[in-house]
Amino acid sequence: MSLLKATGLRASYGQVDVLLGIDIEVNEGEMVVVLGANGAGKTTTMRAISGTIPRSGSVIYDGHDIVSQSAESIVRSGIAHVPQGRGTFSELTVEENLRIGAYVRKDSIESDIARWYKTFPRLEERKNQRAGSLSGGEQQMLAIARALMSRPRLLLCDEPSLGLAPLITQELFTVLKSLNQQDGLSVLLVEQNANLALKVASKVYLLETGQVVASGTAEAIAGDERIRKAYLGG
Amino acid sequence: MERLLQYVFDGLSFGAIYALLALGLVVVFRGTGHLNFAQGEMAMFCTFVIWQINDWGVPLVFAVLIGMLFGFLLGAGTEATVIRSVAKKSPGGVFVVSIALFLGLNSLASMIWDRSEGYTMKSLFPNKPEDFVRILGAEWRYKYIGVLIVALALMGMLFLLFSKTKFGLAMRSVASNPESARLVGVPSGLVLAASWGIAASMGALSGALVGGINGQITPSLMFTVFIYASAAATLGGLDSPGGAVIAGLLIGVGEQLAAGFAPGWIGQDLKLSVALISIFVVLLVKPSGLFGSLKVERV
Repeated sequence: MSLLKATGLRASYGQVDVLLGIDIEVNEGEMVVVLGANGAGKTTTMRAISGTIPRSGSVIYDGHDIVSQSAESIVRSGIAHVPQGRGTFSELTVEENLRIGAYVRKDSIESDIARWYKTFPRLEERKNQRAGSLSGGEQQMLAIARALMSRPRLLLCDEPSLGLAPLITQELFTVLKSLNQQDGLSVLLVEQNANLALKVASKVYLLETGQVVASGTAEAIAGDERIRKAYLGG
Repeated sequence: MERLLQYVFDGLSFGAIYALLALGLVVVFRGTGHLNFAQGEMAMFCTFVIWQINDWGVPLVFAVLIGMLFGFLLGAGTEATVIRSVAKKSPGGVFVVSIALFLGLNSLASMIWDRSEGYTMKSLFPNKPEDFVRILGAEWRYKYIGVLIVALALMGMLFLLFSKTKFGLAMRSVASNPESARLVGVPSGLVLAASWGIAASMGALSGALVGGINGQITPSLMFTVFIYASAAATLGGLDSPGGAVIAGLLIGVGEQLAAGFAPGWIGQDLKLSVALISIFVVLLVKPSGLFGSLKVERV
């Protein structure tokens, strides 16, 4: 069942058109990965879906078109966005970061905080530290945990591996995979590390200069000789 | 000894007023990164509104509360209309707009309340000649004690709001990273308008307190107070509310001491320069102010 279906999604920064009409679909419980070179429009796609930039076309989420909704109401409807570069609140403590992540919720959030501390024990150890003092890997964990505090149905995750050590990246992907498989969370992932991404994803979109140039199951893409050469390093 | 204590008492009360206005500057600066040069004039205008309401027969306490509410609406309305539309297009434009507001509010007040000798403002606190307590020989007048208590109480409430409430957390998140604040669903427009509202509302109270101490108000009521408050905000660190309060109190006491102990060559005329020069020296040594934070972030 389709959870998110973007059709003809366009966005531009000033005069420069970055997305030239993109079609992407994420089904309920799926992990979908967006691959592409720098400047292909991956991050812009994420921002267009979460409503942080002006965009046009249609984005049907859970039966409603959200393309003209504000970022605030899109979070409220269940899409959480972990931005590229993590976007943690450096001046707030780790725990305050988690609390603000649940800003749109009215119910009790204590059990959620406990749950993400259990998933990421290092966050609990540092709960009273300012987020800015955490290492890159810890900040990425915090960014993901903060997004999950809103109890999303769809998680947008923009290059979680950026600048992280391979071991930390591995750990993060294990968590993402288990969230997807155990909890049924739908994930739309942007990733430079294609080999890693293809291992966890079920569906792949390949972006090139603002357009989808190929899509298919992870196996099909991984098996395509041309794509292997261009994007996966042989 | 008595003299020293006397200067400290008086200085603390004036300092508390500077701290209130400085705190307003810091709240706005943290939210938007702008210095609101009209902060003092907004406070002055609200003080006249308070005087007017009181003059119509409403008890002063209620007049002050209504004036603070008026201040909130004035501040929030200013942000939501002129400031926001300019800030989107040109950050430097906000500076010009706040100067324009400064002049505009001043002219408007002079037009509406045009008595050149000013207007008599009552104090919120007992203010007869015998209304003081004597501590170690120094007189602590009730009106000064009252000012100190009210100002500190309001600041205490504000700190609780910042640190203990969801709204306070939302304010700090917008100050820390506006883009991420939107991503977690914080309505940043509402938060910024409220910050300006809170700042102006504290200004209204500080104006009423100054007016009560002086016993009379004119449109130039807040000129020097605003200079001291800006100095306090800078000295404390523009992004540190606690720093603004401590620096405000320090400046208040320092001003009284300088004027009192060196009446011959500093006196009332030069005390403002003394405050500003000492701030200059502090900033040379510590550019982010006494308690301001340099942004530290590991990547």
